[in-house]
Amino acid sequence: MTHRTKLALTVAAGGLATALALTACSSPSATEEEAETTLRLGVVTQLSSFAPWEASWANESPYLQAVYDTLLRTEPDGTVIEGLATAWEWDDARTVLTLTLRDDVEFADGTALTAQVAADNLVRFRDGTSQNAPFLAGMTSAEAPDDTTLVITLAEPDPALPVYLSQNAGLIGSPAMFDSPDAQTTPIGSGPYVLDTDKTVVGSTYVYEANDEYWDSESVHYDNIVMTFYGDPTALMNAVKGGQIDATNLQSPTQIAEAEAAGFTAQTYEQNWTGFLLADRDGTINPAMGDVRVRQAFNYALDREGLLQALDGGLGTVTTQVFGLSSSAYDDALDDRYPYDPERARELLAEAGYADGFTLVMPSNNFVPESVFAIYKEQLDAVGITVEWEPTGDDLFGRLLGGSWAAFSFLLQTDPTSWQTIQFSMLPESAWNTSHVADPTVIELAQIVRSGEEADADAAARELNAYVVEQAWYAPVYRPYSAFITAEGTEATIQSDNAVPYLWNIRPTE
Amino acid sequence: MLTFILRRLAAGVLTVLTISVLGFFLLYLGARDTARRIVGDTAAPEIVARKQQELGLDRPIVVQFFDWAGSALRGDLGRSWFSGQPVTEALASRLPVTLSLTIGAILLTAVVGTVLGVLAATRRGWVDSSVQVGSFVGAAIPGFLVALVLVLVFAIGLQWVPATGYIRFTTSITGWLSTIILPIIALSIGAIASIAQQVRGSMLDALRLDYVRTLRARGIPNRRLIYDHVLRNSAGPALSVLGIQFIVMFGGAVVVEQVFSLPGLGQTAVSATIQGDIPLVMGLIVVTALIVLLINLAVDLIQGWLNPKVRLS
Amino acid sequence: MTASVAVRRSLMRRVLRTPLGAISAAYLATLILVAITAPVLAPYPPSATDLSNVLAPPSAEHLLGGDSAGRDILSRLVYATSTSLLGALIAVVVAAAIGITAGLVAGYRGGWFDASSNWMASTILSLPAIVILLAARSVIGPSIWWIMAIFGVILSASYYRIVYGAVRHVRQELYIDAARVAGLSDLRIVGRHVLTAVRAPVILLTTGLFAVAIAIQASLDFLGVGDPSLPTWGGMLAEGFYNLSRTPWLMVWPSLAIALTCIALSLFGTALRDVLERSSEGAGKRPVRWSPPTPRPDATIRDGRIHDDPLLEIEGLSVAYRGDTAWATVVDDVSIAVARGEVHALIGESGSGKTQTAWSVLGLLPPGGMCVAGAIRFDGLDLLRLSARELEKLRGHRIGYVPQEPMSNLDPSYTIGQQLVKPLRITLGLSRREAKLRALALLARVDIADPERTFAAYPHQISGGMAQRVLIAGAIATEPDLIIADEPTTALDVTVQAEILQLLRDLQRESGMSILIVTHNFGVVADLADRVSVMRSGSIVESGSVADVFADPRHDYTRGLLDALLDGAPARGALQA
Repeated sequence: MTHRTKLALTVAAGGLATALALTACSSPSATEEEAETTLRLGVVTQLSSFAPWEASWANESPYLQAVYDTLLRTEPDGTVIEGLATAWEWDDARTVLTLTLRDDVEFADGTALTAQVAADNLVRFRDGTSQNAPFLAGMTSAEAPDDTTLVITLAEPDPALPVYLSQNAGLIGSPAMFDSPDAQTTPIGSGPYVLDTDKTVVGSTYVYEANDEYWDSESVHYDNIVMTFYGDPTALMNAVKGGQIDATNLQSPTQIAEAEAAGFTAQTYEQNWTGFLLADRDGTINPAMGDVRVRQAFNYALDREGLLQALDGGLGTVTTQVFGLSSSAYDDALDDRYPYDPERARELLAEAGYADGFTLVMPSNNFVPESVFAIYKEQLDAVGITVEWEPTGDDLFGRLLGGSWAAFSFLLQTDPTSWQTIQFSMLPESAWNTSHVADPTVIELAQIVRSGEEADADAAARELNAYVVEQAWYAPVYRPYSAFITAEGTEATIQSDNAVPYLWNIRPTE
Repeated sequence: MLTFILRRLAAGVLTVLTISVLGFFLLYLGARDTARRIVGDTAAPEIVARKQQELGLDRPIVVQFFDWAGSALRGDLGRSWFSGQPVTEALASRLPVTLSLTIGAILLTAVVGTVLGVLAATRRGWVDSSVQVGSFVGAAIPGFLVALVLVLVFAIGLQWVPATGYIRFTTSITGWLSTIILPIIALSIGAIASIAQQVRGSMLDALRLDYVRTLRARGIPNRRLIYDHVLRNSAGPALSVLGIQFIVMFGGAVVVEQVFSLPGLGQTAVSATIQGDIPLVMGLIVVTALIVLLINLAVDLIQGWLNPKVRLS
Repeated sequence: MTASVAVRRSLMRRVLRTPLGAISAAYLATLILVAITAPVLAPYPPSATDLSNVLAPPSAEHLLGGDSAGRDILSRLVYATSTSLLGALIAVVVAAAIGITAGLVAGYRGGWFDASSNWMASTILSLPAIVILLAARSVIGPSIWWIMAIFGVILSASYYRIVYGAVRHVRQELYIDAARVAGLSDLRIVGRHVLTAVRAPVILLTTGLFAVAIAIQASLDFLGVGDPSLPTWGGMLAEGFYNLSRTPWLMVWPSLAIALTCIALSLFGTALRDVLERSSEGAGKRPVRWSPPTPRPDATIRDGRIHDDPLLEIEGLSVAYRGDTAWATVVDDVSIAVARGEVHALIGESGSGKTQTAWSVLGLLPPGGMCVAGAIRFDGLDLLRLSARELEKLRGHRIGYVPQEPMSNLDPSYTIGQQLVKPLRITLGLSRREAKLRALALLARVDIADPERTFAAYPHQISGGMAQRVLIAGAIATEPDLIIADEPTTALDVTVQAEILQLLRDLQRESGMSILIVTHNFGVVADLADRVSVMRSGSIVESGSVADVFADPRHDYTRGLLDALLDGAPARGALQA
């Protein structure tokens, strides 16, 4: 054998050996599939943290639901039902919620669930770094008079609290996690599955095994779940076409046709709205925007159908309201309060004294294609509203929420409850009421929604919706479709108050 | 030989240290609004402030540096700001993917490149011309373009192999091969071109050497001459180029992993960069510098071993 | 400086004259034109959206169709050309500015700047660029101009290396010191000499780096770390990839743009390199037939016996090398006869063609050389008509070769023993043990003190004299009929020379082999040879027995050579041992 050949073979052998050794070290072989059932779920967002006090929700909910329980749950239509708590009750002032917890729940490390543990979790969430920590900001205390009774006291009524407790605010983790440095990546919950940390590749694939000791075994439909993160549409569609996924959200409704062609069933729903927040209703930043006629003109200037077609291939519903379909404030009629009418827009502008138009500065960003801003500009320019897009980078949100602009475009959630939406952007202290406009009508109606009896609250919500639309506080354009697809052999029930179906509603077809 | 190794190692370590220090200060000084990005863009300012404090981002940079350096020397590169996973763990779990990609590519390159180079140098004529043209095109076209074309044609068009994803070697060898073969080819094309050219050139030079003539005068047939003597002595420069290409491949792996959705270091590099996950970026810099150091050392060692003057001293 | 300007102009012209150079230059010129006139050329603004044009196929209004936002692909492609070229330009300009300056200063001044910049260049060159750029991007944000500038800093190491090397090289030339003495300022010295030397490699490097910069920029844009508000080839490629399932055509146009540009740049670089190095092996060039150079030199004066049945007969041999436009004849109509057992010396100055003649017998002319006329007969066989395999069998078996330069004629990677044994096993079919024994015997025969030790040693471990003995051992190993010795003692010390000559003489007497020895030293001729042929400028001028020629040189040239020997005493006789 010549030197050269020897050399080549040595290098080859060495390389192969290295590769083998490394791949072997990092993943012990797993061949216990046999007759076990596995759900291969696609997820379109990364998991930010397993620690309950800094957890997110929405698209991250599958990661968390697999390992944790929440205090309450919701049905697909949004009705609040039992979770870890079997009963819950408001007091008359609607500021104290008392929950009765199960007594047979254990965490994966053997610790028992007690009301004190739940209370500690709630407090940590309120004081933590979850984006939704403000949900519990109004909670003055969480107490456990006994092991199965949890008492939550609020400063002011909050009708959305039970819904929060069915989401990340209600995640209950083992006290052993509280001071663990690995909390972000290592969950200890009481949930239906347990994370297999050996097979899991953080940021890419999460592998769960069924928890045999689970207290609600009927809700567990699989022996294993593998959740894989797909960052870009091409990767997702390739996995779909390659038969590597059983169920997943889509990143965009334009992928529906392809998914159906690959034999998947697609279900669509609307849980977001895209359009403009005409924040400067007092006209402090841009006097023109302080005039309701100008804001209405803004609304008339938008060709909603055309925009829907161009930006999202017609996959969605045009709208002029910001309240969600399942909320009490929703009103069909308010989906087209402002039909496309540039003439009318110009008339209104002239009435308001802006016959020659005016300049409006709005922020642009890198989250959506640049073409979107171009299209909007075209349409607004056509009626005399000259848009100047100001490029932003990392400073966008700081400046946005700090009230730098009179108006801006965004994609926001439509909340399941009216109160959430009101609290989000309509009250003077709301974060997304960036100019902190205080409108007496709004405040008054909001108060009824917050603390009134159900019938009164619902009526007030509808009235508030109509008012806000009439006052053109916003210029929504459409609610884009979201889509969840399932392969043959898997079925799922869409959740009205969440982007992803809840795990116990994803099951093999009978 | 031992002093040779030690000296190179020392120089390399110094380089890695310098790069780490420079990198740290540049990255940390430039980091903006990371806390907000971690918590969520639409989060309230108090939440952002809490996160900042939690991560210690409000401390003076020098304090943060000594903290990081102290841990780094003990092998602890900190935790990712976004996933909370220890950086060493994050990198270690993804290193095998990138390694199987790059090692596979370098092996393919070594073999194919050498064969093509030898053919071109010995056969001349149309074989030489086609190898030259092929090398030229292969070297000129950017690697990721090749990767995209390969995906389009073989994975999506012909559906011979899956377009994305990675199956571990230990799970299924054929599976692993099917997911890694296109990426390896994509990564190798440029390097093969380079090696073929290098081998061809070295061989043409070597064929002119005095001792080749003398050996031929001794009656040694052409084929033996080429494989035993000419190739052996062309190996030196070719090996240097191979080493360089190996390092270049780590850069190329970044794009290839993105195109083929392979969960390797390259993918981590891109996402860490876009997010501004600085501990992870620092970890990547350190790991890259170390890998480069090791490769250079390995090349030097093999070169030394090949050269009897160095080997025996 | 006018001379260099003239050279530069003709360089460009030469490149453009080659087909590759012309095509690539035309493409690149068009590209630059497109980039500059983009605002005028593009039919639509690059961000103009048209709702009805989303993912539209090519049409009359939109020649390449529409992208996912309804923008005109052609316009975007045109504008992207500007972006891509500008980014690459920034990178290359920054790289050149830093690298060339640093290389000049470091190479000229030396000192600490030299050491530190060398270290920095090595470090930069050793790290994968894309990792550095990603790290930079995480700090700087999506600004493609700043990132390309940083890439320029990384690339500067390449310029630095080249310029530094060239400067060091030129600096050693004496004329710079002379210029300094003459009072020229540093800048003028640098400008005149160094920049001219550096010009060619720098231009070559620039074309290469430009292509690299375009490729890296495209990669970064593709990964999404570039500036999304600018139209770029990489960005368009990413968009195409993103929408791959909706239509694969979006990817085609930017791919073509990138690929063609990179290929054009490489082609241009290659054409440039070819012109600069003037490298053409002659294979496949216009065939020009060889004809004897006119005028032919003076007719040789021949003298001597006509041999019956010479062992080696060279008759009318001409050897020539094919150039670009003409042949260069190095051996012209040479005839030599070597009898069996005879030592025939071939003497002449360097360049006389004696070594070429010797190599012709062995069939080992360097590439490009050909025997264009005549015949070489060895023991009746016409060597020029033999097949390669038959010639191989003769070489190393019946014809041996002793080369001139001992150290460069041994393969440094193998031991002496290995290099002796292998030919024996191949030509004589000996077993390894037999071959080893034979080799050791040979080493002893050529007076090597410790054959075992030498057998196991590597070439760098033995002296020049020993090496030459080893080569002689290799030549006589198969007991050849004829040895071709090419100046076997020229590269050795005087004392060693005498020993080697003695050795050769003894071996020849022992075996009765013929030797054709090439030399420029009459002493060697006197020591060893029976007959001598004198060569000048490729032809034989005189030939005869050594005694005759030394006593009575007939040709003027021979006479001149002999007269040039320093001592007027007659040639030495046999060495008194």
